[in-house]
Amino acid sequence: MAYNELIKNFEKIRAYMRDFYIYGFKSRDGYDKKSLRSYDDERRRMESWLGEHMRFVRTPEGKNVFISIDSRSSNHNPFYNALKAKSFTDGDITLHFILFDILYNEKDAYSLTELMNKIDEDYLSCFEEPMAFDESTLRKKLKEYIEEGIIISEKRGKYLLYRRAKDVKIDNIYDVIDFYSEIAPCGVIGSFLHDKEGKHDEVFAFKHHYITSAIDSDVLCSLFLAMQSKSVVTLHNLSRKSTEPRKNRVVPLRIHISVQDGKQYLIAYQPDFNSIKSFRIDYLSNVKIEKPTPRFDELRKMLDNMESKMWGVGCRGCLSREERLEHVEFTIQIEEDEEHIVRRLQREKRIGRVEKIDDYTYRFIADVYETSELIPWIRTFICRIKKLNFSNRTIENKFKQDIEQMYKMYGIEDGGETNDI
Amino acid sequence: MIFSELYSAYYNTVAKIIKEILRGTVDNNSIHKIIQDNAFEESMINILPAIQKEKWQLITRKYKTPIRHIPTMPLTMLQKRWLKAILMDERIKLFDIQIEGLEDVEPLFTKEDYRVYDKYADGDNYEDEEYIKRFRVLLYAVHNQLPVKAEMTNRKGNIVYAKFIPQKIEYSEKDDKFRVLTSSCRYITTINLARLTKCSWYEEPFKIKSVQRERTRATLTIMVKDERNALERTMLHFAHFEKQVEKIDEKNYKVIIRYNSDDQSEMVIRVLSFGPLVEVVEPTDFRELIKNKLKKQKNCGLK
Repeated sequence: MAYNELIKNFEKIRAYMRDFYIYGFKSRDGYDKKSLRSYDDERRRMESWLGEHMRFVRTPEGKNVFISIDSRSSNHNPFYNALKAKSFTDGDITLHFILFDILYNEKDAYSLTELMNKIDEDYLSCFEEPMAFDESTLRKKLKEYIEEGIIISEKRGKYLLYRRAKDVKIDNIYDVIDFYSEIAPCGVIGSFLHDKEGKHDEVFAFKHHYITSAIDSDVLCSLFLAMQSKSVVTLHNLSRKSTEPRKNRVVPLRIHISVQDGKQYLIAYQPDFNSIKSFRIDYLSNVKIEKPTPRFDELRKMLDNMESKMWGVGCRGCLSREERLEHVEFTIQIEEDEEHIVRRLQREKRIGRVEKIDDYTYRFIADVYETSELIPWIRTFICRIKKLNFSNRTIENKFKQDIEQMYKMYGIEDGGETNDI
Repeated sequence: MIFSELYSAYYNTVAKIIKEILRGTVDNNSIHKIIQDNAFEESMINILPAIQKEKWQLITRKYKTPIRHIPTMPLTMLQKRWLKAILMDERIKLFDIQIEGLEDVEPLFTKEDYRVYDKYADGDNYEDEEYIKRFRVLLYAVHNQLPVKAEMTNRKGNIVYAKFIPQKIEYSEKDDKFRVLTSSCRYITTINLARLTKCSWYEEPFKIKSVQRERTRATLTIMVKDERNALERTMLHFAHFEKQVEKIDEKNYKVIIRYNSDDQSEMVIRVLSFGPLVEVVEPTDFRELIKNKLKKQKNCGLK
């Protein structure tokens, strides 16, 4: 099939975008030979959508293509462009603009036959080779637009009439849309609203701004819709360790979002295993919403109780088993004028408590499902850690071994002195 | 669903071309410009032939249109639901807005549906009426490039005064704080909004010209050892920076990151969080900072 910058299905390019942005070191030869044509097409599409953000570098393995974006200097998430590249037929776009021109006023309502006549006589007749739409095509398009909430149908006598849905004025909320399209879940929807508004001054900038999750917006949106209707979903999950996605049936309970690495997780109940588990949203696809479940409120309450023991997304797991918690404790020392370190402990701890031992010594204490989730945070206090007390001794020992390894890595000899030469 | 042609760059572009035709101001150049501004880099090769061949029966090859009104489409239910959801967010109070027509709309999500689990706990107070007033003064000043005089408490707890022209309002999701990026102020470039105690438009003549300050950039080179999924974790963690990755061998990757030099202390602890799986290669002064931390750690007596 001839190359087109528009695509029908977003799923395939999602993986490529992640590869190019997150990793960015794979050359063309690093991809499966069978899919080299597909690689070329997807790369070309991304170049078209992302323009200046696509970069190239020559390495001994070949030319590497990668996406490099300093999100602090971008007012808008460039990945949103990819979600504006859906393909359509000539008939789709023609009918779209004609329909909303006929139904320009909210009061105007027409039957299917009236719409058919107007389309043919008032619009298509001015073209040399007019398109021909049959009733079923138009009915299908109207049905689709009713589902989108942009057309309303109403029975008048024996006729079904169609008119445009009531609009909402958004012309005075540029700042709100600019802000939330970058920081709210499914922010791409704000970007769609932004496109309607036209150009205006951009007043916001964003720091620590993770933009990758934009490409998971469709999955996230379906999960929100499922939670709003308290429904069960089926979804495909491609875990890191498998090559084929596995079908799961779950009750979505909450989305956990990280603002320190941009990852998004679904926390869901798995009826088949009677467990509450987390799923990386970037590994999920094909979400299908099924029927509501009467257990939703009870399960969410259970998750509410669990969250005081979750540092990140490590959950209790199987609900039939007894709850197993791990104790985490570490002590730090501060010097004079280092009150900011105590403030750091207080503001960065998500759960647990901080105890003052004396003016120069503080202790953090928590009971959690997974000690390993705290390790990166505890490491940020390297230079002042006096004592560790983890009930999970394996992790405690590993932590200490890691520090020893760092001493070696940076050439720090016994006694704290170093000599690189 | 989100991935729909209704929101596509092409539909938006065609709407703008029709608008231009109805205004009677269309020509080849203006059509090219509309495509350039609203669609993608290669869209020209699709949109122009579609018009020339009258594939989309909306615009004739002579740039006439049977469409009578400037194209509009009501908000979709998804757009309304998203708007309803953001109107329920606590930060919405910062903006003086009201949106009518969403009374019967269900939100796409509520705060019960998601949890940002790692933002810092000392974020700005969006309930504080005085904070809201100051935010609005600054927002207006950014839009209109007006000078502002402000009173604030510095890190040492002293009250200081400043006059500046706010350029942008910067938000960090991790810190949950707003900062104002300034120009025309000799010694302050970034001010935390929460530190401001007073803020108003400066009405007397303001001589200093507004100058956009460029941030000083720094480069950091690290080696990542791909054990315990460290490659993916580092790539995601540093994803928001301009960066370049090179595979050295099956296990080792060299990553060059460009960041704002003001954030060096933060970068040091971010690198430390990866333990022995990330080693700083360059610059030497950054490597020294890590070494100093480790030397101090060695003296803590952790056994």
